[in-house]
Amino acid sequence: MRRFLPWLLVTIIIIIRLIYFYQGRPSYPDGTRLRITYRVTSEPIRYSSSQYLRLRGFKVYLPLFPEVNYGDRVIIEGRVDGEILKDPSLIGIKERGGNLYYLRKRLIAFYQKSLPNDHAALVAGMTLGSKANIGQDFWAVLKESGTAHVVVASGMNVTLIASFLTTFLVLVIPRRRAIFLAIVGIWLYALISGFDAPIVRAAVMGSVAFTAQVLGKVYNATRALFLSAFALLFIKTDWLYDLGFILSFVATLSLIIFVPKLQKVFKALPKGIRENLVTTLSAQIGVAPILYIAFGQFNVLSPLANILVLWTVVPVTIIGMISGIISLVTVPIGTLILWLSYPLTLWFISVVNVFG
Amino acid sequence: MSNRWKLFIFLLVLMAVTLWLAAISYPGRNLRVIACDVGQGDAFLVIRGKTEILVDGGPGNKVINCLNNYLPFWDREIEVIVLTHPQADHYSGLIEVFENYSVKYFLANALDSSSSNYSVLKSLVGGSQTVIINPTSSVSMRLDLIYLDILSPSSEFLADNSVTTYEQKDRRTKELYQTNNGVLGAYTSEQDPNQFSIVAMLSYGEFDALFTGDIDNKLSDDLAEIIKQKYNKPLEYIKVPHHGSKNGLSQSLLGSSNWKIGVISVGKNNSYGHPHQEVLKILGEKDIKILRTDEMGDVVIATDGKNLIIPEN
Repeated sequence: MRRFLPWLLVTIIIIIRLIYFYQGRPSYPDGTRLRITYRVTSEPIRYSSSQYLRLRGFKVYLPLFPEVNYGDRVIIEGRVDGEILKDPSLIGIKERGGNLYYLRKRLIAFYQKSLPNDHAALVAGMTLGSKANIGQDFWAVLKESGTAHVVVASGMNVTLIASFLTTFLVLVIPRRRAIFLAIVGIWLYALISGFDAPIVRAAVMGSVAFTAQVLGKVYNATRALFLSAFALLFIKTDWLYDLGFILSFVATLSLIIFVPKLQKVFKALPKGIRENLVTTLSAQIGVAPILYIAFGQFNVLSPLANILVLWTVVPVTIIGMISGIISLVTVPIGTLILWLSYPLTLWFISVVNVFG
Repeated sequence: MSNRWKLFIFLLVLMAVTLWLAAISYPGRNLRVIACDVGQGDAFLVIRGKTEILVDGGPGNKVINCLNNYLPFWDREIEVIVLTHPQADHYSGLIEVFENYSVKYFLANALDSSSSNYSVLKSLVGGSQTVIINPTSSVSMRLDLIYLDILSPSSEFLADNSVTTYEQKDRRTKELYQTNNGVLGAYTSEQDPNQFSIVAMLSYGEFDALFTGDIDNKLSDDLAEIIKQKYNKPLEYIKVPHHGSKNGLSQSLLGSSNWKIGVISVGKNNSYGHPHQEVLKILGEKDIKILRTDEMGDVVIATDGKNLIIPEN
């Protein structure tokens, strides 16, 4: 009983928070003219003649220019029509000036100038979670083949950064301090990558894991997952509707549950293939029904497509990060290194086009 | 094998494959003139080896796909971009082009457009290393083995029809304007922007291609005179003016040389009814091969400077 008491408490708090959230939510009848001032908290998606963003629960489709970027403060006026803000007009836009936003913009511009656009979008998506430059056609193909999750910077990036930082920092400074700096690094990355729900989820979990290490406590992934989910929902209750958040949560949960079991089932397969297959299948078990509900479509071949392309994600992300950092000092050398990702992105795009 | 070795070998393989892909994608020695399928608008890509010339960017951002398909992945510089005149179906795609490539020379009129998208393009070009040239007839440039002669607009036409906006601006802008180089949006005009279209003749060996922008019948007639005077040789390729509109190609322009190919860049089922039947008829009468982007997608002509490779339609 003792063990469950804290959880009971947390659950009650979250329920109270949800009730509070729903009651405090203003509702606007159709036709109301609204003026929203808001800081854009996730990257707008660009279509061939419009850009799409979500503002306070409303879908807004703006003309392509001026470009709205993650971090900008915008003033938008429009008419409520269901969950869409119709006839929106952009009244004001103020770019966020901070160094991190500048860094993010500069990196994306570097990818764009160094690779053909689908390839650049793929690298920017994998390393920074930037969806802005993914063309409409390419986005459709990614969705149909069930590989769109790759282009959204995911929890995996956080893991990559965390292990990268700890491996190097431990060499130069004491362990405890290294772990502390790694946590700082994770959160800086979360900020650069647009503070999207999946990244923040992973950042919280990573921080919990690291803290457990420092304190010498046993890290329980399931517990950390639920704890981070509750904490995030408490702070940002509207993430309850954020598909990225839900998918990230469900995928992680089903990885925790099914990976050990499927490892046993496929133990006859060679290691490289098995890892890919097991990870993909485990995640799909939880994610597939949600994708089906959300998009009404599910590609039966998507596990196969995933197995064929997933191995490229880690090297592309690493090449993207290293070349990006080098490009801040010297662009030509950064470009040369970035080109090493071209065969991988070419493979990714070709495979995805077959399945999509 | 240790992990470090595996990583090393993976890196070596990656480098080898990248080098191979770079080598394979090197464009051939032939010159290619590509009418990109950008819908209702113009975007023509001329490419030979590492040299590229882009005439207009079309509406939307489809032009980027065209560049992706024909440029090797490592070539991130476009030597020349010509914007015939500042109308959305000619410049919109250029915004994305300037975001994705570095551009050496930008040939465009100083004619302004009130559209906010044009301001985006102007500030993008202004913030880049690109050299802006406001060409008038008599300007010629050479790139590699490709020659580009500007045939229109004439400086007299510009002087007569432009209202400079520099009066409200500071003296520096005025000086810039007077050198007549390197400004975008220095003047406005009562005239139709189509009349300002930059017309250019591109030559490579014995091959010549005429890019006409959106000129009207009268300008087509004027152009015919210039061509008869200036070019004493057979010309092959004509971009049919104004997407095949009735107010574009004229009989005399067609009569100015022995054209072989007429390319019409036009969107499927466009609301303007382009190309006009009459234009198709006069092209047919002259036995000129008509190639249309709405029927064929990208229209690619290749030449070694003597022989032409023309796609079947």
